[in-house]
Amino acid sequence: MKKTIIHIDAVNRCFRTARREEVWALRNCNLTCSEGEFLCLLGSSGCGKTTMLRLLCGLDSPTSGTISINASTPSTMQHNIGFVSQHGDLLPWRRVIDNVALGLEIRGIPRAKRKQQAAEALRRVQLPADTAHSYIHELSGGMRQRVALARALCISPRMLLMDEPFGHLDEPTRHALQDDLVELWSKDRKTIIFVTHSIEEAVFLADRIVIMESGTTVTDISVNCPRPRDRFSAAFLETARTVRAHMHDPSKRSEE
Amino acid sequence: MKVPHRIRKLILGMLLPLALLLLWHMAAKGSVIVPSVGDVLNILLHPMREATSLDAAPLAHSLCVTLLRVAIGFGTAILTGIPLGLLIGRIKWGGEVFSPFLSAAMVVSPIAWLPITILVFGLSSPATVVFGDDAWKYGILDQLRFAIITVIWMGSFFPILLNTAAGARGVRESHIEAAKALGASRIQILWKIILPSAAPTIFTGLHIGAGIAWRAIIAAEIFPGTRSGLGHTISVAHGQAAYEYAFAAIVVVAVVGLALDGLIRLIATPITHWQPKER
Repeated sequence: MKKTIIHIDAVNRCFRTARREEVWALRNCNLTCSEGEFLCLLGSSGCGKTTMLRLLCGLDSPTSGTISINASTPSTMQHNIGFVSQHGDLLPWRRVIDNVALGLEIRGIPRAKRKQQAAEALRRVQLPADTAHSYIHELSGGMRQRVALARALCISPRMLLMDEPFGHLDEPTRHALQDDLVELWSKDRKTIIFVTHSIEEAVFLADRIVIMESGTTVTDISVNCPRPRDRFSAAFLETARTVRAHMHDPSKRSEE
Repeated sequence: MKVPHRIRKLILGMLLPLALLLLWHMAAKGSVIVPSVGDVLNILLHPMREATSLDAAPLAHSLCVTLLRVAIGFGTAILTGIPLGLLIGRIKWGGEVFSPFLSAAMVVSPIAWLPITILVFGLSSPATVVFGDDAWKYGILDQLRFAIITVIWMGSFFPILLNTAAGARGVRESHIEAAKALGASRIQILWKIILPSAAPTIFTGLHIGAGIAWRAIIAAEIFPGTRSGLGHTISVAHGQAAYEYAFAAIVVVAVVGLALDGLIRLIATPITHWQPKER
C-alpha cells in the first residue's frame, strides 16, 4: 500500500460575484492521492476541477475544510509542487531557457547552475537544444506546453499539478505530449494530478480517474488497462465507455 | 539595377529637407530679414565661437545648459514617476482614484506652471543653495534654476506616471500566478514579472515625457528671466534681429531632439522587442 500524500477533507470554496451572490465552486469535496499515483480529475467545465488544483498549489485557499500535502499546507509545499496551467503562461519577454529557469531563479540558484539544470529539463521534455534561445512567440502551441512542463520539472518537484495543459492542442500534438508525459512519469513516478475534460485523455493517462460534478467529487474509477496503452484497443475503449457511462448517468455510480 | 531598400528610404527621406533648403536659399536672396543658408551654417560649424552680433553665450554652451536642465528634470521624473506609477497601477481603485486627476494634469502645458514655480522657487538654483549670494559666479550651476527644472519635471512626470500605472495594471494575472506558484515573493514578482511586463508601456511614457520635456525647455527658456540656453538664444536673436542665430538654434533643437528620441528608442528596443509579436 502506497503512502497517501494528499488529503482533501470536506473542502468548500465559495466565491462572491460582483452582485454579491454566493457561488459555491467546491462543495464538501473529499479526495486522497497516493505517492507516485497518476490521478486525473475529469469533469465538464465549471465543475470545480480547476479550483481544486488552485487550492492544491497554494494559489487560493478554501472557505472551509482542510487540505494537507505531505502533512503540511499547500503554501508551505510550493517548493515541492510543479504547476502547469492551461496556456502555459510563459513569459514572452524571456527566452525559453530563462522561462524554464524561473523557478530556480526565484530560489536564488546561481546563474551557471540554473542554465545547466534548465537545459537538462528541456532535454527531458524532448525539446531540441536550439529552442533554448528562442522566444515564446516563435514556438508552436505544443512546444510551448513542453516548455511549461520543463519549467515545472526544473525545480525537481515531488508532485506535478496540471490544469488541462493539452486542452487546446491539435490531436496529433496532444497524443505526442500525452505519450511523452506517461514516459516521463514511468521513469521517476512523481505524483501527478491532471485536470481534463476529455475521457480519452483521462483513460490514456491515469491510474485512477476521479469524476467531478457541480463542485464535488462523485465517482472514483481505477483504470486497469495495462501500460503502454493503445488508444484503439478493446480494453481501452471499454474503459472509456464505462467512464462515460459514469459521467452521464448517476444511477451507474457505485462505490468502486 | 535595383536600389537597396535602405538607400531608397534615405533618398526619399532627404527630398523634403533638401527642397526646403533650396526654398530657403531662394528666399534669403535679396532679403534683409531672412538669413542666408551660409550664415547659419557658419554659426553651426563654429559652435564654440563667441557671437559678435549677439548678447548670448556660444551655441555649444547654450546647448549644454539646455541639455543639463532637461537631464535633471527628466531624470527626476523617471525616478519619481516609475515607482509611483507602479504603486498606483497595482493598488485597488488606483486607476479610478488617480486617472481623472492625472489626465487633467497631463493636458496642461507645463509652461503654464512657470509663473507659479518662479513664485515658489524664485531665482534659487543649486548654486544659491550651496554658495548663497556668490551664486552668480558659478555660471552653469546658477543657471540650473529650480523653477525651470520643476517645469521640465512636471512635463515629463505625468506621462511617465500614467503610462507606468497603465502598464502595471495591464500585467496578466496568469503571469503573476505562474511566479506565485513557483514560490515568488512580492519583491520578486515586482522585479521579475510586473516591471518587465510593463516595460513597453513605461517606455511609451518615457518617449512622450522626453518629447514634452524637450519642447517645454525651449519655451521655458524664452520666458523672461532666464539668461542662457537654446531658448534664450532664440529669444535674444529675435530681440536683436540676428535671425541667423535663431535659425541655427532651431536646427540644433531639431537635431538634438531627434537624437534624444533615437537614444530612447535604442535603449527601449532590446527591452521591449518581444511586445509587438505577443498579442
